[in-house]
Amino acid sequence: MTDSNPPGVAFVAHCLLNQNSKTDGGARCPGIYSPLVDLLRERGWRIEQMPCPEHAFLGMHRFWLVKDQADTLAFRRHCRRQAKVVAGAIAVHVERGTDVVVIGVEGSPSMGVRITSSSADWGGRPDKGDDDYPLVPGRGIFSEELVAELAERGLGDVRASGIEHQLPDYDEAAEREQISALLEQPRGR
Amino acid sequence: MEGDARGFRIAVCADALVNPEPGGLDALEVCRRTGFGVMQLPATWYPDDVAAAWLEQVAEQLDEYLRHGYDVVLVTRAGDPAGEQQRVALGAALRAIGHDLPPEHASEGDADALEEFLRSRPVPSAAR
Repeated sequence: MTDSNPPGVAFVAHCLLNQNSKTDGGARCPGIYSPLVDLLRERGWRIEQMPCPEHAFLGMHRFWLVKDQADTLAFRRHCRRQAKVVAGAIAVHVERGTDVVVIGVEGSPSMGVRITSSSADWGGRPDKGDDDYPLVPGRGIFSEELVAELAERGLGDVRASGIEHQLPDYDEAAEREQISALLEQPRGR
Repeated sequence: MEGDARGFRIAVCADALVNPEPGGLDALEVCRRTGFGVMQLPATWYPDDVAAAWLEQVAEQLDEYLRHGYDVVLVTRAGDPAGEQQRVALGAALRAIGHDLPPEHASEGDADALEEFLRSRPVPSAAR
């Protein structure tokens, strides 16, 4: 075991440390999304990178998609398999008494925490653009599977939020406040 | 990839370099300066079942990058027996899907040496 004793552990969406996993057109920087890393470093929080469900399952050349398009039994099983690994790692930290948060990506069909994407009209010829991206309240598929896996392990009180850089009217300062509040929030809320 | 800022470069980094002890080498900072994305390896003190499944998932994602011409490197900590065991396990996971371990920098804790290694990498074919 490590000797370090961080104030908490943040399990972050894969793409926040590796923008190469994004769909074509979605990478905002060469590799590491700095605002989140800066904040976690300032607070002394440990960083854990979750896998990217879409990259592993659909590959580098996937089109943009909404949750409905990925919501198959096979993709859910893939997400659950990945979520079991994340939940297993979370359990290690919880058992040590360390605070844990999950940080996803709002708007993502898989990693959304409060906002995902949904439309019954997406499908067939890939002719949808930025302006059409249909955001809706709700979790992405991986987030749903992770919540279910954590609940089965009796770890249902892990707090979660999402980075919002994919949303319209993104406000980096507001996001920093939101993530700061997440880190400071008492456990179990 | 119009409007896309990706660097086509990925450093697979030991956890001890992603979450360094105070004063230790911060690989995230060096990777950020050099335009590398990071794939984090599991902590060497994780239970075997968690670590093995984590490594398998890293290997699966690396397969996709390697098949598409991204530059992938391995950044480990020199003189770390547990890290060496993990390196062997990652190599086995990669060999099982037809890949060798990527070029490696075993860090002695020198940020400049890591930066020099990363900057010396050739332009990835995916970026050409």
